[in-house]
Amino acid sequence: MNDTATLANATGAADQTRKPVLQVTGGAKIYGGVHAIEGIDFDLFAGEVHALVGENGAGKSTLCKAIAGAIQLTSGDIHVDGRRVDFGQPRDALAAGICMVYQETSLVPTMTAAQNIELGNEKLLTRFRTLNIQAQQLLQSLNFHVDPATPVALLGTAKKQMVEIARAIYNKARIIIFDEPTASLTPEEIVHFFHLVRDLRARGVAIIYISHALEESLQIADRITVLRDGRLVITAPAKSLNRDALVQHMVGRQVAQGIYQRSKAANQRREKVLTVENVTMGMVVKNMSFSVYAGEVVGIAGLIGSGRTEIAKIIFGALKRNLVNGGTIRLRGKPIRYRVPRQAIDDGIAYITEDRKANGFFETMIVDDNVYIGKLATRLGFSFLLSRARRSKLANYWVERLKINALQRKAKIVELSGGNQQKVVLAKSLGQDPSIVIFDEPTRGVDVGTIPHIHAEIRRLADEGKAVVVISSYLPEILAVSDRILVARTGRIVAEFNAAEATQDKILYAAVH
Amino acid sequence: MAFDSPLAPPRTSRLRLNLAKPNQEQIVLLITIALLIGFGLTLHGFATLSNLLNLLRSISILGILGLGMGLIVISRGIDLSEVAIMAGSWAIALIEMQKGLPIGWACLIALAIALAIGIVNGIMVAFVEAPALFVTLAAGFVIYGLAFSFAPAWVLYAPKDAPALMYLGGGQLFGIPVPIFVFAGAAIVMHLFLSKTSTGRFIYAQGDNPEAARLSGVALRPLIVLEHVLVALLAWIAGLVWVGTTGSMQMMIIQGTMIYDVVLVVVIGGISLVGGRGSVFSVVVGCVLIGILLNAFTIMDVNNEVQNIIKGIVLLAAIVLDNFLHPRDEETARQGD
Repeated sequence: MNDTATLANATGAADQTRKPVLQVTGGAKIYGGVHAIEGIDFDLFAGEVHALVGENGAGKSTLCKAIAGAIQLTSGDIHVDGRRVDFGQPRDALAAGICMVYQETSLVPTMTAAQNIELGNEKLLTRFRTLNIQAQQLLQSLNFHVDPATPVALLGTAKKQMVEIARAIYNKARIIIFDEPTASLTPEEIVHFFHLVRDLRARGVAIIYISHALEESLQIADRITVLRDGRLVITAPAKSLNRDALVQHMVGRQVAQGIYQRSKAANQRREKVLTVENVTMGMVVKNMSFSVYAGEVVGIAGLIGSGRTEIAKIIFGALKRNLVNGGTIRLRGKPIRYRVPRQAIDDGIAYITEDRKANGFFETMIVDDNVYIGKLATRLGFSFLLSRARRSKLANYWVERLKINALQRKAKIVELSGGNQQKVVLAKSLGQDPSIVIFDEPTRGVDVGTIPHIHAEIRRLADEGKAVVVISSYLPEILAVSDRILVARTGRIVAEFNAAEATQDKILYAAVH
Repeated sequence: MAFDSPLAPPRTSRLRLNLAKPNQEQIVLLITIALLIGFGLTLHGFATLSNLLNLLRSISILGILGLGMGLIVISRGIDLSEVAIMAGSWAIALIEMQKGLPIGWACLIALAIALAIGIVNGIMVAFVEAPALFVTLAAGFVIYGLAFSFAPAWVLYAPKDAPALMYLGGGQLFGIPVPIFVFAGAAIVMHLFLSKTSTGRFIYAQGDNPEAARLSGVALRPLIVLEHVLVALLAWIAGLVWVGTTGSMQMMIIQGTMIYDVVLVVVIGGISLVGGRGSVFSVVVGCVLIGILLNAFTIMDVNNEVQNIIKGIVLLAAIVLDNFLHPRDEETARQGD
């Protein structure tokens, strides 16, 4: 840990004259005998953006919840402005000027923006007009274009976030903790959001920034702290770090990069497996057309709301396209229209969901059962009586192939890491022997060390002759795995690139304009 | 040994007692055993063979109904018309018997009526996509009204000379009342169905996460219909035992609180209304616990009001206990943050 100390000193040069607004010393939190965090020394200065990075379960959230008073540290101290504080509940932290802006927005959807800003500080009687004017003034001073009289449910994600930030400022927050603030923003909104953060920093607000996107942290942060397994690995100025260094600190070892390789065969086109012609569904998907060939990986990029998830669900039968003028979907030349996903599965189509918690896995069941149920639900894999032997055989194969952590096989799936959960969801669908596999955000919420495994599996499926579609908002991922890249915008495919000619800029330009 | 050889599948037995993290079934089982011993030592006339058999006989109808309710609650549904199906179908069968229809045919009519109601319930829930709570609540009213118009009497009596009809409810086998065998048989069949067949697995999957089950290719709609039909089938069997035990069918029970008792035994034993949790064992344990309490109260001559209060407290205690043992704490919330 010697290098840590020297690097921290190097940063502190300018800061040594100032005192930190927030200081955590020896912070530890124990859950059921296990250290969630341990021996954390963390400090934060006014007018600083301090990024926290680490894999799932590294302790970022635990640390921030302790700072925000949502949980209490088992040992260690928190100092605000040099005074030791002991937050019993979030309200105490709020009173000290610490505010956490959560990933899932904590706004009341049916209330207006103004009401939400005042939430928790209501006077006994407030006129709506007064309330709205106050909120309007606050929003304008922050340069947020939000109508205070609009119910929050009608606002977009970016504007909801603005309301949250305005609420934090209304509460006189001096320390704001952002938990994955950009997760559901479009690239344009992210740029705007960064302006906001810089603006807050210029006002002297201290900001803790948690994000999975390492590039973002490098871009916006002054200093970065890396956590691993509940311990602080390094705190260093963002300028002295790069992505590779961060990943190495996060994982604690060299990550296997490029273990997947594009197969040569992909370029010589084989059978056209899936054809989508002028498919239309309401206002979301409009005249979308594209084809997928066996043995290739087609990447679909696009912003949220571009219809990329919807087209996948339409193909899979989970959503229904318009009955009249809904277009045609052909599977090996045969027109298809599925009523339920089961029919798609029987025809060899797999869709791997973007939200595994909501509809990907069965949380009360162990790994083996999750994989086995997928098989049982197919026409060929069905057998009335369960067979332990068949279950183990199937699960062993996929545990081996996808490198699922075998020690956790008796654990219920909720107790697994995000990466292992995702692998189980993959195994459940891939065990159904599909010939077309549609991945929707295959590495969302997956630990950095696991991402190469999943990318390798995507390539492997294509090399086995399956047609693979990968939908992702993470452009480096699209570029890494695809043979061909389609860009969706407002329900249409607007551009197509070969893997060789595609760049992030080209894709983004097509997706936005 | 870090873990079993990969070829040996992980065995998870529901009955294995894990002292570090007991589940609700195990706690209820322990409480039940404690009560059994406590009452046995303190209450005169409790720990006799005839009383214990009587206790088991008295819970068998509730237990059979509970098996059906348990099945559907595991699938994240509910069927509030179960008692109405039992009473309604058998009321019509008994009135037909009084009119002179052969007993066998009347029983089949009751079965046909029960299954038809189950199918209608299932179709309303699965295909019309109406909430099961309201569909089955409404079905209960309709069944009551229809049955009462066909058989306008509060109590319908079975024919005097029908030993075959009376056997399942009133008979004895090896000195043990037959209803206990019916309950045990139904429980065993249901247990095998839920734990050894893929349909049973699908029911758990549906209760755990219906959307994930749909996207995995489980045929949810036929499954929902099947579940409601099975509930109706168990209601019919429970009615057969009821008629045999009492020699009659009371229409009053449709309007009474019996359906809540059925939900009670299911929930006490650890079948969560969230779905996907619990097993047949939960129903059996929940039933036995309630049976012991009611039996002991009868011996102690505790009045009905106090019995109801205690039933309510037991239910609350079970739920609080479950929350206490399995808190939705930071530790679980932290997973995959």
